[in-house]
Amino acid sequence: MRWAAVLAAAAAAACTGNGHGLDQNGQPLGPSGSGGVPLTAEFTSIQDNVFTPICTRCHIGASAPEGLQLDEAHSYGLLVGVPSAEQPGVMRVAPGDPDGSYIIRKLEGASGISGGRMPLGGPYLPQSTINVIRQWISDGAQAPQGVAHIEARPAFEVVATSPSDAATVTAPVRHIVVVFSSEVEAALVNWTTLQVEPVSGTEFLTPTATPIPSTFEIAPGNPATVLINPVSPLGPGKYRVTVRGTGDSGALASVSGVGLGADYDFVFTVEPAR
Amino acid sequence: MSRPGALPSLLPLLLLAALAATSARAEPYLAVQQGFKCTQCHVNPTGGGMRNTFGDVFAQTLMPMKHIDTGQEAWTGAVNSFIGIGGNMRYDWTMTDVRHQPSANQFSMEQTRVYLDASMIPNRLIVYADELVAPGGATNEEAWAMYWSASHDWYVKAGQMYLPFGFRLQDQTAYVQQVSGINMTTPDRAVEAGYLHGPWDAQLDVSNGTAGGPVVGNGKQFTGQLSFVQPIWRLGLALDLNNSAASGRRTAYGLFGGLKTGPIAWLAQADVVVDHTSQESLRTAGGLLEADWMISQGQNLKLSAEQLAPDLSVSIRRNGQTRWSLVYELTPIQFLQLRAGIRYYDGIPQADIQHERLYFVQLHAFF
Repeated sequence: MRWAAVLAAAAAAACTGNGHGLDQNGQPLGPSGSGGVPLTAEFTSIQDNVFTPICTRCHIGASAPEGLQLDEAHSYGLLVGVPSAEQPGVMRVAPGDPDGSYIIRKLEGASGISGGRMPLGGPYLPQSTINVIRQWISDGAQAPQGVAHIEARPAFEVVATSPSDAATVTAPVRHIVVVFSSEVEAALVNWTTLQVEPVSGTEFLTPTATPIPSTFEIAPGNPATVLINPVSPLGPGKYRVTVRGTGDSGALASVSGVGLGADYDFVFTVEPAR
Repeated sequence: MSRPGALPSLLPLLLLAALAATSARAEPYLAVQQGFKCTQCHVNPTGGGMRNTFGDVFAQTLMPMKHIDTGQEAWTGAVNSFIGIGGNMRYDWTMTDVRHQPSANQFSMEQTRVYLDASMIPNRLIVYADELVAPGGATNEEAWAMYWSASHDWYVKAGQMYLPFGFRLQDQTAYVQQVSGINMTTPDRAVEAGYLHGPWDAQLDVSNGTAGGPVVGNGKQFTGQLSFVQPIWRLGLALDLNNSAASGRRTAYGLFGGLKTGPIAWLAQADVVVDHTSQESLRTAGGLLEADWMISQGQNLKLSAEQLAPDLSVSIRRNGQTRWSLVYELTPIQFLQLRAGIRYYDGIPQADIQHERLYFVQLHAFF
């Protein structure tokens, strides 16, 4: 049959790699012929054995699902201490708490997750591999040695927020997350450099009340992420978050003294819970 | 789309639909077989999701082996003249066999979706929602409003939606769906303009470019698609430019086409994606060739060959991955489909996880 012949031709043209010069994850071997670090409960090993070869098939680039890029340059900063986009009440990786980490729930296909089990469509990771990730989280979800992911990006800027700018989310909002490109100077994280205020209007926003009383902290285990915790969860309304990058009253900067250079703000709307 | 409140008989509608030669259905191969565009059977002009009246009637009469006569009016999804509902449920049994790993099998709820459309101004103004209600907690996949021109030659859509990029395959794990990152798991907030006239079908979208993730900066994603659709063949181009500031840049190119030869519908698509991250550029490519043989009404045999080049800086002879699928689809009665198949993954010898056999049986109920 003609159609079978066409598919046979496709079979002949299809190319499965011989793996020469690649490690067991398909990554090019180093100059010394080395490559393929064994899977251990360290971030670099997990990156090389799981995130890079498996997850970045989808979670890479500007269109990564849920904005979660798992390539080497972004993965740590977007995982550790950062609320999941699907369930903002749960950290993607909660250092010391694998059961409370959304990544584990998604990898294990636990009940209550949003969307499908990861990797989407399988094959799913062996439990032994998931257990290694569990162990890394139990050990505090330590950053790669030398905090390479941060040193690679010396600039200091806001790279992500949750809720995102112009987002509409459902009440109550208990945490606001601001992710920076490098480690934040903890001594500068306070009410003078970070502010949440209710606003009204569309094009020109006007504060409608005094700033929302909040506490501020560096995300557990992730010094590049700041958590803003309103004392009372935010109810319905529109809110603006301002990160001070200039001014006499205080400006946020990285531990290496690099400032934002300008104020950064984002606005989101909280809708009543259904 | 306006919805007749009741259908005393299917025949007039089918006749009318048969005379209105344009557009299609949930699976792109059906569109190729019928010579339709997506909007023939779907509320969404770019396909997928809720079926319109034609799609509902087609699914009850021309898809199943046997139509069970209920003695009642046909289901059209119409709650009343303005509101329509629909849904899809896919429940699976799968067995996964990965080299050097114990095989695993399980029952799983792949997905259950419910759709709602409100046509406040019939045929002109529509508000639509697609809610993924299982597995896990409910997630809004699509929610948009769409305005059609009086001639139905063009439309404007705004809200959260799936972006157009090549064939909207049912299998979200197909390589061409994965490498572009644009599929039915990654809706984005966008504004879409569409043009459908004669054989032409075109869309242009401007979106946040974060696939539902946090938004930073002012970067936007531009996605465009142009198709030329003929009764027995079609050809399309897709382009995606994502300059979502802090996330890096991505450019994706797609070429896709379909051809009908007797009872077989052929689909082919090739995507090339270039990612510019903070450290380096990565070029990835995926290809699909699919043949769908309609054995008889209600029976389809799908065979597909796929190629993945995960990093084009490395020869495909070294790092290429392939996937073969053989899927039998049986629609015994209206609203019910059974699917059974095997997917065979092959990759580099040293990567066990690239060597997988996936066997599955799926119950697909829809309305």
